[in-house]
Amino acid sequence: MVVGGGIAGIQSSLDLAESGYYVYMVETSPAIGGTMAQLDKTFPTNDCAMCIVSPKLVEAGCNLNIKVLTATDVEAISGEPGNFSVRIRKRARFVDLQKCTGCGDCAAVCPISRPNEFNALIDTRKAIYKRYPQAIPNAFAIEKRGEAPCRNACPIEQRAMGYVALIRERRYADAYRTIKEDNPFPSVCGRVCNHKCEEACSRGENGGHEAVNIMHLKRFVTDWAFAHPEEVEKAYAAGVQVKPDTSGLGRKVAVIGAGPAGLTTAADLANRNYAVTVFDSLPAAGGMMRVGIPEYRMPYDLVQREVEEIVSRGIDLRLNTRVDDAAALLGEYDAVFVAVGAHAGVKLPIPGNDLPGVHMATDFLREVSLSEPSRRPDVVKGKRVLVLGGGNVAIDAAMSSVRLGADWVGMSCLESEDRMPAHDWEVRDARDEGIEVLAGRTFKEITDEAGRVTGVRTVDVDFRGFVDGRPDFDEIPGTETVIPCDLVIFAVGQKPDLAPLGDKIETVRGRTIQADPVTMATNVPGIFAGGDAVTGTTFVVDAIDAGHKAARAIHAFLQAEPTKAWPPVVEVPERLPEAKVSDEEKEERVEEQARAKREEPAKRPAAERRRDFLEVEAALTEEQAIEAAKRCLECGICSECNQCAYVCRAGAINHDDRDQVEELKVGAVVLTPGFKTVDGDIRPELGYGQYPNVVTSLEFERILSASGPYAGTVQRISDGKHPKKVAFIQCVGSRDSSCGHDYCSSVCCMYATKEAVIAREHDGNIEPTIFYMDIRAFGKNFETYYERARTESGVRYVKCSVSRVREDFSTKNLIITYIDEAGKVVEEEFEMVVLSVGLEPAGHTVAMARRLGVEVDKYGFAKTAGFEPHRTSKDGVYVSGAYQGPKDIPETVAQASGAAADAMAPLSAARGTMTVKKEYPPETDVAGQEPRIGVFVCNCGINIGGVVNVPKVRDYARTLKNVVHVEENLYTCSQDTQAKIQDAIREHKLNRVVVASCSPRTHEALFRETVRQAGLNKYLFEMANIRDQCSWVHMKQKTEATEKAEDLVRMAIANARMIEPLNEHLVAVTQKALVVGGGIAGMTAALNIADQGYEVFLLEKEDRLGGNLWNLHYTLDRQDVRALLEGTIDRVENHPLIHVLFKASIIDSGGSKGNFTTGVKAGPDGEYRKIDHGVVIVATGAEEAKPAEYLYGEDPRVLTQLDLEGKIAGGSPEVAAAGKVVMIQCVGSRNEEWPNCSRTCCATAVKNALKLKELRPETEVTVLYRDVRTYGLAEPYYAEAREKGVLFVRYEPEEKPEVRREGDALKVAFTDKVIRERIEIAPDLVVLSSATHPRNNDEVAGVLKLQRTLDGFFLEAHMKLRPVDLATDGMYLAGGAHGPKLITETLSQASAAAARASTILSKEKMMVGGIVAVVDGDRCAACLTCVRVCPYEVPVINIEGAAEIDPAKCHGCGSCAAECPAMAIELAHFREPQLWAKADALAAEAEPAATNAAM
Amino acid sequence: MMEFSYFPGCSLHGTSKEFDESVRGVTAQLGIKLHELDDWTCCGATSAHSLDEQLAIEMPARNLAIAERSDRDLLVPCANCYSRFKGAEYEVKEHGRKVSFPYEGKVTIRFAMDYLCDKPVVEEVKKRIVKPLTGLKAVCYYGCLPVRPPRLTGIKNYENPTHMDGIVKTLGAEALQWSYKTDCCGASLMFTRLDIFKKLTGRILVEAAKTGADCVVAGCSMCQMNLDTRQEDIEKDLGRKIGIPVLYYTELMGLAMGHPDTGKWLKRHFIDPVPMLKAKGLVQ
Repeated sequence: MVVGGGIAGIQSSLDLAESGYYVYMVETSPAIGGTMAQLDKTFPTNDCAMCIVSPKLVEAGCNLNIKVLTATDVEAISGEPGNFSVRIRKRARFVDLQKCTGCGDCAAVCPISRPNEFNALIDTRKAIYKRYPQAIPNAFAIEKRGEAPCRNACPIEQRAMGYVALIRERRYADAYRTIKEDNPFPSVCGRVCNHKCEEACSRGENGGHEAVNIMHLKRFVTDWAFAHPEEVEKAYAAGVQVKPDTSGLGRKVAVIGAGPAGLTTAADLANRNYAVTVFDSLPAAGGMMRVGIPEYRMPYDLVQREVEEIVSRGIDLRLNTRVDDAAALLGEYDAVFVAVGAHAGVKLPIPGNDLPGVHMATDFLREVSLSEPSRRPDVVKGKRVLVLGGGNVAIDAAMSSVRLGADWVGMSCLESEDRMPAHDWEVRDARDEGIEVLAGRTFKEITDEAGRVTGVRTVDVDFRGFVDGRPDFDEIPGTETVIPCDLVIFAVGQKPDLAPLGDKIETVRGRTIQADPVTMATNVPGIFAGGDAVTGTTFVVDAIDAGHKAARAIHAFLQAEPTKAWPPVVEVPERLPEAKVSDEEKEERVEEQARAKREEPAKRPAAERRRDFLEVEAALTEEQAIEAAKRCLECGICSECNQCAYVCRAGAINHDDRDQVEELKVGAVVLTPGFKTVDGDIRPELGYGQYPNVVTSLEFERILSASGPYAGTVQRISDGKHPKKVAFIQCVGSRDSSCGHDYCSSVCCMYATKEAVIAREHDGNIEPTIFYMDIRAFGKNFETYYERARTESGVRYVKCSVSRVREDFSTKNLIITYIDEAGKVVEEEFEMVVLSVGLEPAGHTVAMARRLGVEVDKYGFAKTAGFEPHRTSKDGVYVSGAYQGPKDIPETVAQASGAAADAMAPLSAARGTMTVKKEYPPETDVAGQEPRIGVFVCNCGINIGGVVNVPKVRDYARTLKNVVHVEENLYTCSQDTQAKIQDAIREHKLNRVVVASCSPRTHEALFRETVRQAGLNKYLFEMANIRDQCSWVHMKQKTEATEKAEDLVRMAIANARMIEPLNEHLVAVTQKALVVGGGIAGMTAALNIADQGYEVFLLEKEDRLGGNLWNLHYTLDRQDVRALLEGTIDRVENHPLIHVLFKASIIDSGGSKGNFTTGVKAGPDGEYRKIDHGVVIVATGAEEAKPAEYLYGEDPRVLTQLDLEGKIAGGSPEVAAAGKVVMIQCVGSRNEEWPNCSRTCCATAVKNALKLKELRPETEVTVLYRDVRTYGLAEPYYAEAREKGVLFVRYEPEEKPEVRREGDALKVAFTDKVIRERIEIAPDLVVLSSATHPRNNDEVAGVLKLQRTLDGFFLEAHMKLRPVDLATDGMYLAGGAHGPKLITETLSQASAAAARASTILSKEKMMVGGIVAVVDGDRCAACLTCVRVCPYEVPVINIEGAAEIDPAKCHGCGSCAAECPAMAIELAHFREPQLWAKADALAAEAEPAATNAAM
Repeated sequence: MMEFSYFPGCSLHGTSKEFDESVRGVTAQLGIKLHELDDWTCCGATSAHSLDEQLAIEMPARNLAIAERSDRDLLVPCANCYSRFKGAEYEVKEHGRKVSFPYEGKVTIRFAMDYLCDKPVVEEVKKRIVKPLTGLKAVCYYGCLPVRPPRLTGIKNYENPTHMDGIVKTLGAEALQWSYKTDCCGASLMFTRLDIFKKLTGRILVEAAKTGADCVVAGCSMCQMNLDTRQEDIEKDLGRKIGIPVLYYTELMGLAMGHPDTGKWLKRHFIDPVPMLKAKGLVQ
């Protein structure tokens, strides 16, 4: 298992997979690629980072033996090396990876914007997103924090956040659709809901801010939707049309009660095509929505409209039909749902309650609601009406009485006013309408005079609330009064009328029906019940909830036939946890975008509304609604509005996705989770986060990137202006113990230099200045890059640590105060400041280390043992990349290969046992056949289809010659389409396939695989790119785009007629390695390969192994070098698979990867022998140069560092006695003859200085340096040396130190830049940090035909991504032969070379050929052009005097074919006639229609 | 109700009376009771602290010893006093320094700015705002001792403190972001190097004016005094008017919470803030 999908993880995975191991690559983000994918360019070659990494991503993504697990975390590990069990958590992605085609239609409709991590948060992306365009896997993911509190609180899980977000985007029709997803009665719930959502709203917590008006927003949308029916229809039609669910066909369900519960069930079941009959005893449908709520609150035409919408789904609604026995219906119907509501009123048992002037609120309200407006009852007209009760119904009865012309209306209740069940605002509104509220009374009697009500006798109470459902109060003596009235309305409660049920159904004490809260099942099989009839009076939304649950249960019950288990088994989907927004985040959001206060909709004035039943409350205005919607804090992140699902034609969206935990068995674990950049505000005085134009280097990287937020234009965040003066401040969060980062981040000097250079390339007006402490250009060819930046690219370097950045308030420019070379304080203004932030382990990787039991150092980097750079503290767990310490890409990649080598060596017994190999059917012979071309034109969702007229292109293709089959696909890359293509190949006997879709860069491999599986040679495939190169770039010119698509298809078909099958053939591999060089690099590589079970020939020039390492004795971190060396030599000499050849030299060599033959002379007599081998590892090493200055060789007191180290190790008395030692750095490095940095000398000087101090603390050590380059974790030793009194004095190359002899005394003179004084010291020893040169490698380079850098080190195939590969396949490089390096770096690289070698050695046979250059010997004039142009040195002139190209070596680049003056070379698959045919096809306006026999 | 021992120090009894009165005023509004320390003496921030190391500890220690007689925390509005107290506490607690007073390092010393701009108090303030300071633009100036040295003050964002900005925003005003929040006002050179002092204070005032702020908000009596009283002098050197009022955060709190004495406090400034506040409709 490889943990981490950055470049390190990818390299480790590829090496392991190619060497015969099955790999799980686990990545925590939704895509692999890591930080490298975010970079713009890479130093020192200025390659585009994405261009070089993206093929690797594709390679890893397509590899059959790499299982990429994205959005996955490693939770725990158990077991032993070789047999680990790793628990992983695949976090819910909410998008099905198998189905998603990456088309992006979903993101286009997502209403939620989030800061875009990939662009360093400079711009935004959607909640459904792909990390970056080239992401692997090419699939979207949804960022979801949980269920928003509003949705969580709602009984029907209404997607409140969803429609609120859509309203904010002014997408009202979409919002309506989102609402309707869960709620068939939105116009009712937009008016009379108890809106628990608003109680739960995060905006409402903690006082101060109030909840978002979720309910009013719903009403706003429904009102809008009713006014714009065509637009709503359009919104529904725009999305994917779902296939109707026919599972209910043939089954009948009866619903008793046409209220919200009954109708919801009916609607849900009708959607599944059940035959539903709804019975209701009343003349109107809607239940309490229609006959309970007065019309001034809920206009009845709206209820009617929503009822009709449901009934129109094919429901048989029978009004005025009373059911007398529910169970009796079971004969005719398969299931019955009882939802009769609670329509019966309750009276208090007091004297006078049966007088004729005493009414029930339910009856009263029903009568009012069912009467025509002109014929409303006049029973209360002119009367004094007293309503008994303090709830909503009491208010409704009282207000209705006011409207019906009562003379006086009062309401009285037991509860004190602050405890009345009605909302405060309702009571307030009632008072406004003139209703008298007489709270806190108990009723004794309804008084009468001759049977005519005269009043209600009441006593005041001290009411304390309800205890166990019973009121707790004391009567207040002496407060008895009679409230005079003519009419009393009881509004103290309602209950269901259970009469129609018959006696079979169990009840709760005869009051409500007994039913299961989840399945809604009663005791009678087949009868379900829900709503007020079960729960007692509740709200509409609760009834809808019951309706949904009943429908779900009835469906489950009826689909479970024939068993029909009772109660039915209902699967309830697991709910997400509620999303919580932290207080800080809340405050930030409120501050940023939602400071507005909640606004209430307007109400008609009381005096006016008293007179009629017209609606009291207005809807929010559009502007109010938008403002209200903007106040949402977006707690859930994803709003679950479901719009993505509506448009996803691939059906890939799955909001019910949940985390999955799995155990995986693996043999070894490689940790490569990478790093994070230090937060810019780690040094607040530099103003990051306060001043918009102070950015981090990663942000600047994105600003520079063509795929970044500004498409590569360098501009300021504050105002988009193009900055002229840009400052880079180095070491932010590096080399700084004040923030706990006393290490050097290794890469910042170079990336800042690169960014400065590239910024100037983008915009020549930019004047970059880099403020630095030391420029650490220590890598291969870095120094020359730095020099060019300084001298040619106009980058200014100022050596100064910047302590403060200020901002000019009006211009947003930045002011930096620094001390210049002359010691003067300078204030300089810049338009932009880039902070070169360091690298640190990410918090989650530290936590992971803790979980896995892997030790980390004090910074959080994985700890590795001294000479085992990939081995963690836990056996069998390896590490590579910046997780182990800050490092740049080539070292990361080398280390990744090295870790792979170390991980695979102990598992060699299992090699090849778990890997997958594709089996193909035999290839059909198409030779001599007339081309029969199949053309598949892709819509790519709407990516192509939305611009190009795909049916037209399809029909056009049909008219072209040789085309026998044409198809149009929604997504040609989807799995089912692959099957369709294969079927078409077989059915129509296709022998060429053309796909017109996207880019071959991402999809050619897939389609080739498809045709191969159908028995066609994989090269009989051709692609036309009608997306990236057509629909995307001509979005606005649809007609022209269609024409261009036709042109492209015509060209592809022209080419397809001429393409030929190409054969790759298998060659056997010699599974043996040749290692050149017996130093520590060569030995380590040899051992690793031998441990994997392959024979190794190790050539050593001398007569003993060990090389330069014999000259080293200890390391900076105080490791024992000699023990390492002797241990390694011992293992090598005793390894049965390693043959060491001493005194060896290479004489000749031939062959290609997998099969080389090299002639070697070896042994005391120089005996010549031929060695067959499959790979070569070059490890010829490096050595310390002998200085030609500073009296070296003239005075015995002038030593090199190696001399000194040898003397110290040998216990030399002159060293022990030395009182003063001067070390001079950069002797023979960084000058004109030897421009590069020798990398190791600074660390060596610090190492030896510390050793001198350890031996004799009073020894004065002075180090004269140019830049101290103790990169990475060596930096703290530099600090230690300074603490111990070692003096470091900087000198300029123009003013080098002077070493001379004065009499017997040695004198060193130099200028101290700080005090600007010439200083002279008379040291006992002068130690020169001399340059590192490669060993003489002319012979090896000549025989193996290897390229070298100007300074003679071998040149790798690619500086960044192939650091140990040589340009010739099958040849690798390690150690000093590559460039100067420290021991651990050498060890790492040696293992890396072994890993790379094993990708070949592990195969018994290899495929060669395919797209390679082919020479026509007769035409060849042997002019040597091809020999010269080939970047891989493949062509040779053979014995016949013609060029010959070995197909095993050829990379298929085509350079030779293009250059050959005699046109004797052709590149297979790209032959000249093909290209002409394409060009001709482009020129041809249109082709004459062909007669196609098959059509 | 919260109760504190209270150490006003010399400046709050003298030049910065409005600071004292406004601290007492707003704490009373918030239901916080202050008990002025009995028989308090100089905190040592005068010449003592730079002349005699032991005396520099003894003087605050005497006051701390008095404070320790009660269980209450000690609230200190003056940054100089606060710094001396924290310094003495550190010496006694961390370095075990001996002092002549029965001080054991037990009393909690709280800086008024830290306490009054902290969340619990801010929440209380929110509830009591009667006149939000809408339309007022302010820059907050912290200076040195209210936040430094962080070892003593425990302030995390000492490079970019924001707690005073927070209370200013809570009161309904706008707190402008600027770069001179913690720049040196030069107070220590006020008598010896007037030229340097004027350069430093002058820059703060000029930059504050550049932001377009209506006033500077301060929480240290020394800073407030320098910025307020020296403005005329500096204007003379510059040859142009600055005229920016410098107010204590407690005065703004009083203003927003409708403290009846606010007008009295505001009268004590050299640069009269009243016309500006009138123009904004924030005072009558």
